[in-house]
Amino acid sequence: MNKIKLASYLMFTISIIGLGYALIFNPANWIVYGISITLIPLFLLSLGLINMAQATKEEEDERTREPFIGY
Amino acid sequence: MARIQMRPGPPVIQHLLHTLKFYIKESSFPKTAAMPFYVAIASTLSAIWIIAVIMGPVTYGSLLLIFGVYAMHKIVEHNAGSSSGSPYGKLSCVRAVFSAAAEVPLFAVLIIIYLQTGSMILSNIVSYQAANGPLLFTIPLAAVMFFVLILSKAPYSPFAITKGKDIVSGYETEHFGVLRGYLMISESIAWYMLLWVFLTVFIGPLSLLGYLVGMVIMTIIVAFINAVTPILNPNHSVMMQVTFAFIGIVGSILLMIVF
Repeated sequence: MNKIKLASYLMFTISIIGLGYALIFNPANWIVYGISITLIPLFLLSLGLINMAQATKEEEDERTREPFIGY
Repeated sequence: MARIQMRPGPPVIQHLLHTLKFYIKESSFPKTAAMPFYVAIASTLSAIWIIAVIMGPVTYGSLLLIFGVYAMHKIVEHNAGSSSGSPYGKLSCVRAVFSAAAEVPLFAVLIIIYLQTGSMILSNIVSYQAANGPLLFTIPLAAVMFFVLILSKAPYSPFAITKGKDIVSGYETEHFGVLRGYLMISESIAWYMLLWVFLTVFIGPLSLLGYLVGMVIMTIIVAFINAVTPILNPNHSVMMQVTFAFIGIVGSILLMIVF
């Protein structure tokens, strides 16, 4: 499992736990706002990173050997 | 827009379909991208519009904070463009600074609202309208200014210089796959919030159905304008917006003095 996958699963778990806490345990308003501002973006990002398609082994070579022409 | 221009086009829900599609596409990160800033800036856009939702429909808080979120949106456009290292992104980044100079004065519409209602707090503005009628009729020029601001956030609008197709997709050009989908979700929240603020501040307290109908009508009006107007070049776009802002502020104050 590569680093991005590992990090995204970690972020996903943290955000699910945080959002679950805010939804179930009914904490003070400012805590709910804090959780939603930080963890909703984290949830969306990690969900995307987990779901995104991965290049297959054969394709990987194609992706990295693409000549970089520079800007 | 395609239906208005009487040509076959994508379905009306294309933005949603694109967002879902980008979420499952393979993503790549440009070699020139400034990591981790390149990813963090996309998260920032999402976070700031969630703040706007909390300040708006959730707590009916201060309009000034929503103004702050809007200013941050311009900063995100600027930084998303520069973080990718793409020349198109950089052009969009420069244009974001340029357009901020025109759109921030448009947001000076807040001053007019404050002068009329004596408050910057959304709940007070809503109760003012419940007692004195919609602000749309008392300060119409301010409503026009805010509408121009909303228009400038719509893709293909005459003022959408940061996302003009002459620079491919502007600041989003090199945010591929997941990150593009992520930016598009945040933009959808931004669109919802701008329409919500317009309807709440200028028409007043509405029911859920009222908001829905109002938002659909405003989106259709914006689509009509976008379908029949060309995108202006950056200089003309900025000068037109500044002109709208000038006429709006001076006109509104004159109207207040006269009536």
